Amino acid sequence: MDNKLYTIGVDVGSSNIKMVLLNYSENPVIIDKDSEKIRKRNPEMVANLLIDHLLEKNNLNIKDIAYIASTGEGEMLTRKRGHFYSMTTHARGGIYFSPGAKTVVDLGALYVRAIKVDDFGKVIDYKMTGQCASGSGQFIENISRYLGLAIEEVGETSLKSTKPELPSGICAVLAETDVINMVSRGISTPDIIKGIHLSIANKVVKLLTSVRAESPVTLTGGMAMNIGMVQAINELAELGKLNLTITSNPDAVYAGALGAAIWGGFRHLKLSSK
Amino acid sequence: MKKYFLGIDLGSTTSKAVIINEQDEIIGRGITNTRANYMVATEIARLEAIYNARFSILKMKLDDEIKSKPEYKKYIEDIESVFQYLQFKRRLDKLIVQFDESINSTFEGEKKTTIVNFVKTIFNIIAPEIRHEFIFANLGNKNQFFRDIVSERYNKEIAKLGKEYFEPMMLIYDKSITPVENELTEFDFKELIFEALEVLNEKYSYLENTNPEVSDIQFDIEMNILKGNHKQVHESIKEHITFIANMDIHIANMVGTGYGRALLPFPEKSIKSEILCHAFGAHAVFPNTKTVLDIGGQDTKAIQVDSHGLVTSFHMNDRCAAGCGRYLGYIADEFNISLNELGPLASDAKKEVTICSTCTVFAAAEIRELLNVGEERADILAGLHKSIVMRAMSLLARSGGVRNEFTFTGGVARNQAVLKYVTELVRKNYGDDLKINIHTDSIFMGALGGAMFARRSYKD
Repeated sequence: MDNKLYTIGVDVGSSNIKMVLLNYSENPVIIDKDSEKIRKRNPEMVANLLIDHLLEKNNLNIKDIAYIASTGEGEMLTRKRGHFYSMTTHARGGIYFSPGAKTVVDLGALYVRAIKVDDFGKVIDYKMTGQCASGSGQFIENISRYLGLAIEEVGETSLKSTKPELPSGICAVLAETDVINMVSRGISTPDIIKGIHLSIANKVVKLLTSVRAESPVTLTGGMAMNIGMVQAINELAELGKLNLTITSNPDAVYAGALGAAIWGGFRHLKLSSK
Repeated sequence: MKKYFLGIDLGSTTSKAVIINEQDEIIGRGITNTRANYMVATEIARLEAIYNARFSILKMKLDDEIKSKPEYKKYIEDIESVFQYLQFKRRLDKLIVQFDESINSTFEGEKKTTIVNFVKTIFNIIAPEIRHEFIFANLGNKNQFFRDIVSERYNKEIAKLGKEYFEPMMLIYDKSITPVENELTEFDFKELIFEALEVLNEKYSYLENTNPEVSDIQFDIEMNILKGNHKQVHESIKEHITFIANMDIHIANMVGTGYGRALLPFPEKSIKSEILCHAFGAHAVFPNTKTVLDIGGQDTKAIQVDSHGLVTSFHMNDRCAAGCGRYLGYIADEFNISLNELGPLASDAKKEVTICSTCTVFAAAEIRELLNVGEERADILAGLHKSIVMRAMSLLARSGGVRNEFTFTGGVARNQAVLKYVTELVRKNYGDDLKINIHTDSIFMGALGGAMFARRSYKD
């Protein structure tokens, strides 16, 4: 056993589980990461599968891990030591990916949250979408499945759009019918996808306005990996003259898991120094 | 020349077709869950209804035999089951081809070879399983769609594969199932029904040589009778079958309704609002209806009608899936159970767990948490069913309450738990002496109303 301090962050989402193996210190370093779709299996089973896989890949034993931290819907994991609220983990993960960011926007499967943070990734203020999933990641996932696209192809597809078609319905579940209507009217897949991106981006921009977001803004969560989404948010932010620099990171989906791993390390040191 | 009339109800979740004769009797029903464009959905539902009408006419012709001899009843049921299986089999063959195409465009090299082999192995396991269930058990009566039948067994098989191949196998399935489901497959009824008779000959010859003691097949009385004389039964109805296979079912007029009606390839006068059709269908079946509650896939309607079945007022919710059938569909997906099992499961509840979320997607997340804190699945489902009914009740109140008689229609009316809560709450709020009507064809009410409008507006 070397003198490294290993932590694992587990972010249980509604459709994916994300995991980060971290070497914790003043300047934490990501050693490895992995994710897996839940696909209606037992989340705990999938999480355990991932933990074991990660340990084996890196020649580690569960005893070598100082702290396993969960976030998102991960409170039920029996192997975790502590659970962190996803707002704080995403804020911390966002700052790690984009040092100096003043606002972190978590584009999750159920909620969109705009979080204002200080230099240490502490939450100062936030605004989030209400009790309706229209404009959530789940929404895009359902639609892409119907259109026969893998979620990884969605962003690229939306960039091919020439005449975006905005969905009329607002409900995430009923939007599928909207899409069937569009398909029936012969609207192209890129135009449908782009329209949905714009309708979601519209909600994001509203949140940014209401939280009085400061630049630079960094995006986290599953939809932040989607280049079409990032572009749609930028387009609408420019239209609204928000004057913000909005960027994303290729590993943005791991922000929650990463934040959990960092806070886990922080708490571990606090507990052991008592 | 007999005239028939067709009503098409293009719903958000399923599309229905009903064929009636000149006496307003339903002789054909078709339903499809295809999520393709409305043209295809209309065609599939229409063809299904015509196949079904041929069977109905066959049963009318054999009415005396069916009533007096159990083996006839059984034999006709068997023909329908095998007919369904042969349709299923042709779709499955298409699916296997589609799988190949999807694999070719998604994977390369060694991974591709492995996946091709996995898929081959899986279909070699599930295809015979399904055939057996159609022919020797009652898979045909379970009202399951193509997708449900395949996915249930496919998912079971891929769960056995390791972490590395689980996700690619799911992806290939997602990419392949939709195009096949959305493709219009026209079957030659005559070819299929004679093929079905062949299969039945094989089936009963096989049963003759099978010892019930050592077989896993459930032998019932009819089967035992048929084992000995299926050839006679077959001979005696062969000419009827030839007749219904060749007969021309002449659709004299048709009317379309439902969510997708604006996109139907029908002339303007042949398109009616679904509110009118549902009310008219409900009124036709229950002439004393005053209030209709229709819970469909993506809207809930509370309708008040006059003594002619015409609408006097209505309220509807179609902006949000909460409180409609899609809500239940979504939750069934979450729980990984089929829609038909929801009601029975919820009926086993000891209490109703309160679900706080209105939104369907949030409710699904809330359910996951409730399960984690140890709430029983049945109790959670009961709470969900109750919340749908509570929403419907407030809609009814806004439309002018419930007047005697009350008719409950739409796909969700087939769900026994919803029916239980509707009955409870309607009686509690509007009086114990209310007559509550429910019909086995409740999901077809909109299409039936359409067909009846088609008959009335038909001019020689």
